Amino acid sequence: MLRDARDYQILFLSLFLLLGLATRDWTLKPAAIGVAIATCLLTQFIFSVIYGHRSGSASVTSDLQLPAAVLRPPRWLSVMTGLRAVASQPLTRRSPLISALGLSLLLRVAQLPTMALAAFVAIASKFICKVEGKHFFNPANLGIIAALTLTHDAWVSPGQWGEEVWYALIFIGAGGMVLKRVGRWDTTAAFLGSYALLEAGRNLYLGWTWDVWLHRLSSGSLLLFALFMVTDPRSIPNARPARLIWALSLAGLTFILRNYFYLSTAVFWALFLLSPLTILFDRLWQSERFNWKVFAPHKPVVG
Amino acid sequence: MKRLRPLATGLIVAIACLIFAPSAWAFCGFYVAQADTSLYNEASQVIIARNGDRTVLTMANDYQGEVQDFALVVPVPTVIQQEQVNVAESTIIDRLDAFSAPRLVEYFDEDPCYLPCAECIDADPSATIDRLTEESGGAFQSPAEALGVTIEAAFSAGEYDILILSAEESDGLETWLQQNNYQIPAGASEVLGAYIRQDMKFFVAKVNLDEFDQSGYQRLRPLQIAYASPRFMLPIRLGMTNAQGPQDLVVYLLTSQGQVEVTNYRTVEVPSNLEIPLFIKDEFGPFYSELFQRSYDQRGRNVAFLEYAWDLRGCDPCAADPPSLDEMRQAGIFWLEDDLEPWEFNVFITRLHVRYTRDKFPEDLTFQETNNRRLFQGRYVMHHTFANANEQACIARQMDSYGGTLSDGEIEYLRQLNQNYVAHTVPERFERESKNLARLTGRDLSTIRRRISAEVPQPQPSIWQLRYPPQLP
Repeated sequence: MLRDARDYQILFLSLFLLLGLATRDWTLKPAAIGVAIATCLLTQFIFSVIYGHRSGSASVTSDLQLPAAVLRPPRWLSVMTGLRAVASQPLTRRSPLISALGLSLLLRVAQLPTMALAAFVAIASKFICKVEGKHFFNPANLGIIAALTLTHDAWVSPGQWGEEVWYALIFIGAGGMVLKRVGRWDTTAAFLGSYALLEAGRNLYLGWTWDVWLHRLSSGSLLLFALFMVTDPRSIPNARPARLIWALSLAGLTFILRNYFYLSTAVFWALFLLSPLTILFDRLWQSERFNWKVFAPHKPVVG
Repeated sequence: MKRLRPLATGLIVAIACLIFAPSAWAFCGFYVAQADTSLYNEASQVIIARNGDRTVLTMANDYQGEVQDFALVVPVPTVIQQEQVNVAESTIIDRLDAFSAPRLVEYFDEDPCYLPCAECIDADPSATIDRLTEESGGAFQSPAEALGVTIEAAFSAGEYDILILSAEESDGLETWLQQNNYQIPAGASEVLGAYIRQDMKFFVAKVNLDEFDQSGYQRLRPLQIAYASPRFMLPIRLGMTNAQGPQDLVVYLLTSQGQVEVTNYRTVEVPSNLEIPLFIKDEFGPFYSELFQRSYDQRGRNVAFLEYAWDLRGCDPCAADPPSLDEMRQAGIFWLEDDLEPWEFNVFITRLHVRYTRDKFPEDLTFQETNNRRLFQGRYVMHHTFANANEQACIARQMDSYGGTLSDGEIEYLRQLNQNYVAHTVPERFERESKNLARLTGRDLSTIRRRISAEVPQPQPSIWQLRYPPQLP
């Protein structure tokens, strides 16, 4: 039906956003969602053009060329060529759309430019914070951290999803589908499992009843994070053992930040702080890098 | 055109006092009786002023039992010393309540047919301990160490004797409290244990009867504690230990940047800015109580309600005068410098109303300050109709003001204006008001419509009254 696993992800994130707008009476503003989507797409486009142009010119110089003076094209032609290059630039829509939806779901802003800043940082980081062609920050997460630290205008509302089991089920069901398509369910399982264990240990130690534990875990924001943010296959380690260790560290750091530093934004900070480790993990565990599978009808083979 | 007339302060009911069912155990800590005195504790009210890590917590005391039986146990994140405790004036809570309570505003319709023309501190801790030891028949001091209970501080503040306890085991603490005549409810041990392992201390207060008699106060004043801790929370679990039913807690959060929200439960706005029938004017308290109960049920009984969020630099309309600098200081605000003008106050007030039960609120409340500076108030609107809107009177009035001459066209125009008001504006608004009231409170729609016919002044002859006769058929 849908050709790309990311289409499912976009579908589900949009569904949650609509659900939030309709039933969770948030301080969600449609204008902010619009700004997030527009900025993400625009930033992606601009950076693709810049970076695409660079890599394009590199490939041209490697070819055999006649002296420029001989074959210098007229100016109008070069402008036309440039425009054509821009127009023919494959416009990546899915990835920036996912980042924009993630930002809209998790970040709250009072002024629209703050959302634009978060969206810009999110997408720009994909092009700038790169090691060996792989970006290591989760774009939406970095956008959130940037908005929280650089402005006095943004916040996240961890309590606003409530803890209704119904929502949790939708999250898990939808997330599961997406993850199955993507093949990174192990990260979510490791993260949620180890976090639940840590919280269970604390609960036992403190002597609280188990409904306290359940209440702490059934937070909609935590599930949203675990299912849609932590699993972004492009910004987590490639090899499975590395991913599992990475997810465990993430759970541990989140647990510490939440329970000992009393940070309500613990998960986002934990992911931000641990993101650079993916580079190290990728060096330690060599594995094939993730590429989005396209479930398309086979293209005719040319040649 | 409509004129806005905020009602007099008298109309803006201090809702909190009206709506809360009495409950024996309440508050973040619990009130404990030393005898079987009937305890009556209405809604708990708490002010939390916070900037950075520094917090000033003011706990209102609406304890209704015998003063000598009063005792309070509250978990606190740090050891509290004498200079960190203050006794505030009761009036400050009433002031914040009146200022932030959900409000009723009224509008008066104008003539529809109109042609336009041109404190005291006990310095010696040992004296307090000695006196308490004596009063308790020697049981006070001796077994503390044996039970693993440490008295971190002991002092008096105003009419209160205060101890700060830390403990190693909940059983020891429970035994110690019982031995010292703090009758704590069964099942408290488990909760006490959880606080002990989180390294929290216990703020324990009793009334010093001599001081209380000398002070001449009729009721106990709020206790105020200042401390620095990254934890922005309010312990509610202790108070739930022996609770019979839901308990109400109104928290006034004073911060410097913006609105405060609960991080582990949803924060939801109370329904607001709705038109309601005029007869609610005399029953606004019960109306809000019904509205709150209904919202509470509809939202699943597990949310915190936002009743007010405002920048203290001003209010419009004001339910009461905004607090002065002095009153803000009394409320615990410590970051305002002297000689500030009112428009320079960086104080944001958030009023949260939580109705909690053990099954729906398993965790203590934790808060966070956000950068959200959006203003919100629980506000209900009622309209006075222009009762003298009938065609002859209308034309006569306009003729008077125009010196007795009106063209046929003008008369027809006035007729239409009047007709529109009587046949559309008024009945359509009555319908909206009826439906709002029915939806907000769950009252019967046809009864509301008939009450409007019977009680709300309206232009005669009234289409509404014909449609919904005042008497039941």
